Amino acid sequence: MKILRFIVARLLQSVPVLLGVSIVTFLLMVNTPGDPIRLLVGVRASDETIAIIRDRYGLDDPILSQYFTYLGNLVQGDLGASLRFRVPVSELIGQFYPVTLFLVVYSIVLILPPVILLSVWSAKRPNGPADQIIRIVGVVGLAMPVFWVGLLFARFFGVTLGLFPVSGFGDTIPQHFLHLFLPALTTAIWVVPILTRNLRSALLDEMNRDYVTAGMSKGLGASQVFRTHVFPNSVLPTLNLFAVIVAYLLGGSVIVETVYAVPGMGKLMVDSILARDYFVVQGATLVFALTTIVVMLAVDILSALIDPRINT
Amino acid sequence: MTPLLSVRNLSVRFGETLAVDDVSFDLPRGGALGIVGESGSGKSVTCRALMKLLPSTARTEGEIRFEEQDILGASEATLNTLRGKRIAMIFQSPASHLDPLMRIGDQVAETLRKHTELKGRAIQEEVLRLLDVVRIPEPERWARSYPHQLSGGMKQRAMIAGALACKPDLLLADEPTTALDATVQKSVLDLLVELRQSQGLSMIFVSHDLGAVARVCEDVIVMRKSRVVETGKTRTVIDSPQHEYTRMLIASHPDRLTQHTPPVAPKAAPLLEARGVQVRYGGGGLTDIFTKRASGFLAVKGADFSVQPGETLGIVGESGSGKSTMARALVGLVKPAAGEILFEGAPARPFGRNRADYLRDVQLVYQHPYEALSPRMRIRDAIAEPLRRHKLCAPQNVAARVADLMAQVDLDPSLGDRLPAQLSGGQCQRIAIARALAMDPRVLIADEVTSALDVTLQAQVMDLLIRLQKERGLTMIFISHDLAVIRRLCNSVIVMRRGEIVEAGPTDQVFDNPSEEYTRTLINAIPHLEAAHP
Repeated sequence: MKILRFIVARLLQSVPVLLGVSIVTFLLMVNTPGDPIRLLVGVRASDETIAIIRDRYGLDDPILSQYFTYLGNLVQGDLGASLRFRVPVSELIGQFYPVTLFLVVYSIVLILPPVILLSVWSAKRPNGPADQIIRIVGVVGLAMPVFWVGLLFARFFGVTLGLFPVSGFGDTIPQHFLHLFLPALTTAIWVVPILTRNLRSALLDEMNRDYVTAGMSKGLGASQVFRTHVFPNSVLPTLNLFAVIVAYLLGGSVIVETVYAVPGMGKLMVDSILARDYFVVQGATLVFALTTIVVMLAVDILSALIDPRINT
Repeated sequence: MTPLLSVRNLSVRFGETLAVDDVSFDLPRGGALGIVGESGSGKSVTCRALMKLLPSTARTEGEIRFEEQDILGASEATLNTLRGKRIAMIFQSPASHLDPLMRIGDQVAETLRKHTELKGRAIQEEVLRLLDVVRIPEPERWARSYPHQLSGGMKQRAMIAGALACKPDLLLADEPTTALDATVQKSVLDLLVELRQSQGLSMIFVSHDLGAVARVCEDVIVMRKSRVVETGKTRTVIDSPQHEYTRMLIASHPDRLTQHTPPVAPKAAPLLEARGVQVRYGGGGLTDIFTKRASGFLAVKGADFSVQPGETLGIVGESGSGKSTMARALVGLVKPAAGEILFEGAPARPFGRNRADYLRDVQLVYQHPYEALSPRMRIRDAIAEPLRRHKLCAPQNVAARVADLMAQVDLDPSLGDRLPAQLSGGQCQRIAIARALAMDPRVLIADEVTSALDVTLQAQVMDLLIRLQKERGLTMIFISHDLAVIRRLCNSVIVMRRGEIVEAGPTDQVFDNPSEEYTRTLINAIPHLEAAHP
């Protein structure tokens, strides 16, 4: 029951955060350089037309009442309409968001197994040959810019070997997996070294704890002590870093999606900024913020499930 | 009859350092052997070597035989059939030796799962039985709890339950009571004595406290600087110690220290006074504001006391009684939820704007000397820090003042270039005291300053405090769970329990005629050398 109370409390805590996000996105709109009405009606409209439209859209109302109108629309899921495509922003997001989500989950699936494998392998013999090689390869992976790796992979795996498609998303689920393999791999290349180093040092810290000696004194043997005591304790610090990275991946999918021409949120965001499609930018920002909050919340709950000390 | 355990010429080396030098002893079946010595004497390393639990950097020589089994030459696989099953071990700090993420019941069950054929329900029942054997009340409830929900004494009991699970022949106890309060220590020692009788357990009991060893063991070996300096029957060793070091060790025991009567302070207006001080931890969140309800935990539930100039006030109580929180409130490290603190009759705000001025007069010395000093700051700089920060003397005089302060606490000024890790706990505690004295305070609050130290060092630090008390006319508040220490140092004493002051008065009166049952339990829990088996 305690855990349930903890979840409810955390959910309540995210309400003020959500309000903050809505204020920021609202101000983003208000302070945009240029008049959105001009964009809507074109440069040749008369001042009268503009005044009528301003009135109809409530742009002459006090700023506070404009905010509450905006908030009310948000609650109903109305994010406005795209100036470019003439469709509701929510429809656009519904179309682009699943692609990014697919890409991020796919990346996570590619990231986790090597992270666990490599960090355990490194920690078994700190500064041994395996540890050194993993460290060096990791630094190389970190040092390569994402867009460059993306281009290399597209050229080599896509064009030279012809193993994977280099753009798009495909139509069926197996096709999705095939299309997004290179983007997901490109993302994994820089995330794996970060998490590996983090988990490795956590493992090394935990291996020197007193409860390890206590476990050995019970005759459990090194491998069982590692599995049942060291590993669960080491996961906690890495989990928090992992949450930050996942949140970053959702927002930072821009580069990978651009390189591989994946029709996801990152690409939508960049295109909309370039086309001054402000309502879409606003909606996308809101969705990114929401996703970040949800990811953080999920990890907090997960940590609380693992670590009994958190929710008391 | 062959002994259960036989150790011959055991030596352990870590690199160049010789941690254990040529140690030999025998333990008959059903016997109990105490190993006594100060920290760094090699007693814990010896204990761990018996199970081959030392880190891989240790090089071990000699021979250890458990029944006919050679321990040092045995493979890990063979050892793992002995560890936990035939030889079990309990450790000093139960908090860090239990996995924080695993339920108590599961940790006790680990050995059962590994070494016995028991399954499922049977394991559950056996765990509950074991928790009952070590007198954990409501075993069902605590088996489902996590270590952080248990008190220190209960954690130690749970660890003992885990060690007893497979009915081992030999129990190695590495300072099992050192981190515990006197009352809890007594109950754990009683438990060990009882288990020896009821389960026919053989035991090796490592401790720096001869009083604790005297309760449990009939034989003792005294170690110093990696070597055995004396062996014999506990009673004989205590009554007629042969080696000079043993004599010193016994002389340092609170039982044997010369009774010191603290100087009586003349009746005067109180220097420091607490009125209805309450400290609350936790709470104050959004939900509290909405429901107008005070949640959280009241660590101090309204404390009233006063200290006269030149007086030494003792605060005693078990851990969790709120005594350290009280000290922290006095120097503004925690903010009281209610009540006020008066200094020289005027309200003081230890956490307010005049904090620095107030702290010049009231200084706190902490329990763990190593943690109170920055590990990367040289001793000289650590002592000079308050002098420089508060410009207490001209920059060119700082060095001389530091040397003077070090001399006052009996530290060789040549140690000034060392780092805390290169010094002993006793030396570090002196540095912490010197740093507090740098402010020239009128009140010194000592929070368990002797608890983390060996008996010999404890005696030295106490002597230092008595001297400072005399020379400087220092007013002191001395917080400890050790009543023997309080009795030597304090004019008056207050006894705290669960955040409340249950008894207060002049030391002699409280100790000789305690009016509360709780105070009597505390007094009876002091380990005495006379408790040794005849």
